[in-house]
Amino acid sequence: MTDRLGRIWAIALNTFREAVRIRVLYGILFLVVAANVFAIVLGEMSIHEEARVARDVGLAGISLFGALTAIFLGVVLLYSEVQRRTVHAIVAKPIERWEFVLGKYLGMATTLTVLVGLFAAAMVVLLLYQGVGVSGAVVKAVVLAWGEVMVVAAIALFFSAFSTPFLSGIFSLGLFVIGRITPDIQAALGSKEASAGSKTLLRVVLEIVPDLHLYAVSGRTLDGQHVSVNGDFVSWGYVATAGGYGLLWIGGLLALAIVIFQRRDFA
Amino acid sequence: MTAPPGEAVIDVADLAKTYRTPFTRRRVEALRGVTFQVRRGEIFGFLGPNGAGKTTTIRILMGLISATAGTAKILGNPVPSRQARARLGFLPEQPYFYDYLTVGELLDLAGRLFGLDAATRKRRADELIAKVGLDRARTQALKKFSKGMMQRAGLAQALINDPDLVVFDEPMSGLDPIGRKEVRDLILELRDAGKTVFFSSHILSDVESVSDRVAIVIRGQIQAVGSPRELAGQTLLGVDVTLRLDDPHGAAADEIAARGDRVRRGDRELSLTVAADVDVDELLAFARERGARVVVVAPRHDTLEDLFVKSALASDGGTAAGAAVTEGP
Repeated sequence: MTDRLGRIWAIALNTFREAVRIRVLYGILFLVVAANVFAIVLGEMSIHEEARVARDVGLAGISLFGALTAIFLGVVLLYSEVQRRTVHAIVAKPIERWEFVLGKYLGMATTLTVLVGLFAAAMVVLLLYQGVGVSGAVVKAVVLAWGEVMVVAAIALFFSAFSTPFLSGIFSLGLFVIGRITPDIQAALGSKEASAGSKTLLRVVLEIVPDLHLYAVSGRTLDGQHVSVNGDFVSWGYVATAGGYGLLWIGGLLALAIVIFQRRDFA
Repeated sequence: MTAPPGEAVIDVADLAKTYRTPFTRRRVEALRGVTFQVRRGEIFGFLGPNGAGKTTTIRILMGLISATAGTAKILGNPVPSRQARARLGFLPEQPYFYDYLTVGELLDLAGRLFGLDAATRKRRADELIAKVGLDRARTQALKKFSKGMMQRAGLAQALINDPDLVVFDEPMSGLDPIGRKEVRDLILELRDAGKTVFFSSHILSDVESVSDRVAIVIRGQIQAVGSPRELAGQTLLGVDVTLRLDDPHGAAADEIAARGDRVRRGDRELSLTVAADVDVDELLAFARERGARVVVVAPRHDTLEDLFVKSALASDGGTAAGAAVTEGP
């Protein structure tokens, strides 16, 4: 068991080393800081809404850029191992392929956790600069955004187990967008104008796409109650439930990625 | 040189690999019933032209691709399995490694995958970096390495676990003469240390000079297995004679040269090859009578190259290289 963990950790550590050398990530970090600075400017232009604007823009930046980074890393890191044939020297060692895929995911997850932490730190610094405190709601919102990023990374890794980075990126982005609009899909299902065929299709979509809307609830109505990071927000129980839901999706997606990767020939 | 019989470190039986080309869906038979055994403690050369199936066989053994049919075992363990890979070291063809790592970091990663503890990883890495001559490049990222240096790094990572069996896919490919000699020396050193070495190459001289036994693979099929000497054959094809003469272009030299063929004249030297049935003693006496001194007398046998070319020409109308491509389902 210790040996197994050691091998998974070795792959994860190496993936982290590889990821932190990708310069695009530093560009994304710069964009997040820029978005937070922009939020200050926007806040100054609003009337007594500086705190609200800073929190909303900051959290949106974490969520959006975090997800985009997850897609980017997810579609690139596994595919490039096969494309550059670095996988040949690794898979020929006494490591199971599932350990390799899990290690890649954990390395990516570690990188993304560090990035989300940096995004959040940038937001907190600018919030404090504006004299706005960091509430428990903000902490919960950041944790939820991090959870969403982890699920999106698993989606991207799943697609990259059998597809090119371009197609994997398109598929992952598509799932991310659909996952974010699940309430709208549910509303469409209740519509009288929708045909039976389109309703069936939407039901299938709801079954096979993770409900990422669960992780971006600020400003929405949940169980008939309006929740906002600037006012009443979700409980830690809700955060834990969303985390469990995400873990199930991550586990399922990684299992599928492993099954596909297990059957691949590395020519 | 000869290993104890019967103890197979690699045991391959009727291995086949068929795949289809992506767009045309043509059926390609990369391997067609490959069977051979590698015995413990020997250097086994896997010889064949480009595209003959050497790398495909090695990739199946390493668990990188699956076989369509047949079986393979490494150290008694079925392929593919983690156990089969536990006691072997592998150098891929044109090795690609994480170019942002240093050679020390590469060896550390390899050592972790073999479950070595930190102290062993460090000790083995230090030893191997010195052995392959990369001490001065220790702090450089692999992306700054030349092809030869990358090959050395690849050899080092293949040996990190002190393996019983080492598998090198085209280890001399792209190396300069010094680099190739160093790899040949390393292969011999590994055999002397009790390791079994299985390596592929399309360079005949490299295989012939170090291998205890050789398999020749052409168009996905084994054409011959045996020691280079056995394969080349014992039949005397002729005798090469080199003589020293004051005037290799004079009348005496012409008389001697008329008794053989492949005549070469150098600075005070005359070389010729005589047929196997010629009385060499009588020829040498004839030459001495004309003032010649004998420098070299060497028998000429078939070489591995001769056998290789014959096998290649005999295989499927003389187009030796490449896998068999067939149309249809």
